[in-house]
Amino acid sequence: MTEIESFATTLQQYSPAIRIISDPDELRNYTVDGVLPRFAIIPETVEQLSQAVSLVNQKGLTLITRGGGSRLNLGGIPERFDVLLETTKLTRLLEHEAPDLTCHVEAGITLTELQAKLATKGQWLALDPPDAQQATIGGILSSNASGPKRLRYGTARDMVIGLRVVQASGEIARSGGSVVKNVAGYDLNKLYIGSLGTLGIIVEANFKLQPFPTNERTLILTFSNAEDAMGTVIALLSSLLTPTAIELIDSNAASDMTDFFGLTLPTNGYTLAVNFEGSTSSIDRQIDETRNLARKNDALLSDDLFGKAQDEFWNIVREHTQGTITCKAVVLVSKMANYLETIKQICLKHEIEAAIVAHAGNGILYIELRPVDATFRLVEAIRELRLHAQEARGSMVIERCPFDLKRRISVWGEPDQNFFLMQRIKHQFDSKGTFVKGRFVGGL
Amino acid sequence: MSIAELPSTPATPPLFERVSAAKKAEVVRELSTLLGARYVLQTPYDLMLYEYDASIDRSTPDIVVLPASTEEVAAIVKIASRYNVPVVPRGAGTGLSGGAIPIYGGIMIVFARMNRILEIDYSNLRAVVQPGLVNLHLSNALNPQGFYYVPDPSSQRSCTIGGNVGENAGGPHTLIYGVTTNHVLGVEIVTPEGDIVQIGGWTYDTPGYDLTGLLIGSEGTLCIVTKIIVRIVHLAEAVKTMVAVFDTMDDASNTVSEIIATGVIPAAIEMMDQMILQAVEADTHAGYPMDAAAVLLMETEGLHEVVAEQTDKIVNICNKHQARAVRIAANETERQLFWSGRKNAFGAVGRISPEFYVQDGVVPRTRLPYVLRRISEICDGYGLRVGNVFHAGDGNLHPLILFDSQIPGEVERVRKAGHDILAVCAEVGGTITGEHGVGLEKQEEMALIFSEVDLRVMQQVREAWNPHQLFNPGKLFPMPGRCADMKQL
Repeated sequence: MTEIESFATTLQQYSPAIRIISDPDELRNYTVDGVLPRFAIIPETVEQLSQAVSLVNQKGLTLITRGGGSRLNLGGIPERFDVLLETTKLTRLLEHEAPDLTCHVEAGITLTELQAKLATKGQWLALDPPDAQQATIGGILSSNASGPKRLRYGTARDMVIGLRVVQASGEIARSGGSVVKNVAGYDLNKLYIGSLGTLGIIVEANFKLQPFPTNERTLILTFSNAEDAMGTVIALLSSLLTPTAIELIDSNAASDMTDFFGLTLPTNGYTLAVNFEGSTSSIDRQIDETRNLARKNDALLSDDLFGKAQDEFWNIVREHTQGTITCKAVVLVSKMANYLETIKQICLKHEIEAAIVAHAGNGILYIELRPVDATFRLVEAIRELRLHAQEARGSMVIERCPFDLKRRISVWGEPDQNFFLMQRIKHQFDSKGTFVKGRFVGGL
Repeated sequence: MSIAELPSTPATPPLFERVSAAKKAEVVRELSTLLGARYVLQTPYDLMLYEYDASIDRSTPDIVVLPASTEEVAAIVKIASRYNVPVVPRGAGTGLSGGAIPIYGGIMIVFARMNRILEIDYSNLRAVVQPGLVNLHLSNALNPQGFYYVPDPSSQRSCTIGGNVGENAGGPHTLIYGVTTNHVLGVEIVTPEGDIVQIGGWTYDTPGYDLTGLLIGSEGTLCIVTKIIVRIVHLAEAVKTMVAVFDTMDDASNTVSEIIATGVIPAAIEMMDQMILQAVEADTHAGYPMDAAAVLLMETEGLHEVVAEQTDKIVNICNKHQARAVRIAANETERQLFWSGRKNAFGAVGRISPEFYVQDGVVPRTRLPYVLRRISEICDGYGLRVGNVFHAGDGNLHPLILFDSQIPGEVERVRKAGHDILAVCAEVGGTITGEHGVGLEKQEEMALIFSEVDLRVMQQVREAWNPHQLFNPGKLFPMPGRCADMKQL
């Protein structure tokens, strides 16, 4: 019997309760970039999970961890891939210390479910990535997913205060703790966040929480060109005002939203959506002042959203960062107007189309490219888009794309000069390559 | 050495032998060729200045160098590596955990000449600075344009940003805005091989591992930082500073818990107990009542509307918990006076005690009343006086234990009391250090909060980058062999 064949039998003996899927038809639901694992395992507890990892490691097999699967498309094509490990049974909220504004939760819970539990005490985890109903905490952390409100609240690295992580050996290690301020030892939380499961499997997390804002409103502004829109963004950022999110939507994205979701946005030029939270009086004043700033930058129209319409609007905007082919470019805010123009030129040159939604206050653009089957033109265009982003002191990652395109272009771009430091870390944490290689930067 | 332990000869051989006179002469010669003799210090008289930080421990380096550029730092590291001489970086020596103490001697890199602001970009809200820049000097440079740099350790008039990065420093105003790691986007480093490497950058979400996050707070044990890219922010429109006076510590701590629980998160909530108040008042004359059990110093900032609203809420909560008085600073002068009392507290304690020892545990904010009581019991038990001045809003305690090292046995009782206090913090789910770092001082206490596996996993990082511990050796982790010594004693 080969190692892989004996694996399932041995695991079942260790953990009779663990669910092991080996039926090829059923396994089709667990492919990564079209690659089929030999087994999918769904542990019920952290201990079972740790045992399974230890066995995978001993047998010299390899594994990919998945939560809800919403961001499984992120990353390069996996090298050898034997076992898929799903965390969706680990859904307990272990502690919600509301008076301390902290919580401790298992990593397989979806963001929506966690938020619902926290909401009973008027609090929330200030992360608003897309797909909250499907995405698990573990998946969000390991892919460092974020949303429009990162402008005010930051990203996972700013709210995670502790993690429990199953190592390649199956051992469970804690980093950080359960208090809001902590400098004891290396800050491994930062290392695990965004490492796409290449160093360990996040099984529990401790978070800093936020109270619900008393009120919330969104101002919608439209501009005829990128310079005016970005001029307003820069004026806002260097003002006293404290927007929670500043989203920029180009005309193609606006028209998609109108077509698919029945939301009416002007379909030429650029739309800015500026969100404010706080007391009514502070929101009123901030909206007024933002309108004034916008007027100075030749805004065409303005409107404001609240209540249900506002919630729907932000849902649609968030979901729109996930096309069939979506690139995430990051550039300096001061270079964004220029970069938007560059995108236009590149699209024209290669006869493709881009639809853009951007966290304008952070210099982050989600660029959806189409038609999806124009592989060769897309490869060239993506290469140029990446080069220009790097020239604007930034980077570009292909967040979602079909297999065919992945074979032709690097999802993460060429690794930096500091890559050898990352390799040394990967080697220390996973020398046997238990966590499937090929998916993260430089094939880590 | 650990705070709970007598100085002793370790059972395992030291990581580095002291540099011999002959080797020192050779290294000095090479360094002098590189930097010029005036930037290489080597006489006992010159070196003595660099044997201490603001903690209890001391040890003299063999050579002190003052480089002026990243390239010079890299060249120094290459020389050190060739001669196998350890390297310890030092900012201003204000650290409170022995992080900059060269326990094995060797070369100390001092960044006094690398203290420039290299670039400020207001439209992208970034500044690039050298590690030797004094923390406050950055904000002073930004203020006229209406901006500042958030992390504000109490030593900000002298501590350096490089040191802040090494320790992941905090400060009173980090309650809503976060500590150093939340404000640094990238660094330039020199590795133990002497390579110059850029980490992170000007923009967010750099592909790959978050090495910037990993390096901040690594206490000089992974790399030497030679350049830092930070986020800058707009000064607030309005600031209100309040002082609330309480007759019991419990009332003051419960006020803190309730402010946090109701979701009002001010910019700062600082607590001072009676002993500290008396010391501060004698020193600063800030107008603090000397007979109160505790005072909360609170600040809210932001837009006028927000500040007005938060101030009302805070005052109500204070009154609900029997505050004897709540005073709001009438103007900037009074506000500065309130703060000078707090920021000079450590210095003021120097007036009432020849020496003091400060701890840095963090506890869940809901456990403050219990933990403060325990601290006072512990110190009573050892016959020591203690005062508390700390970041109550974060649950970050700073008990100051007063002592006089001339009294036989007193230092050891202080170390033991410190250890017991940290054990209480750990027991309630807290941590042993919130902003001062582990350094030399709390190495053994790491075991109070981390398991053997946890510590082994952390050490993999040092193994990956600084395997021979050329940089800042013998820090941060419990030392092998130490437990055996304890038993022998």
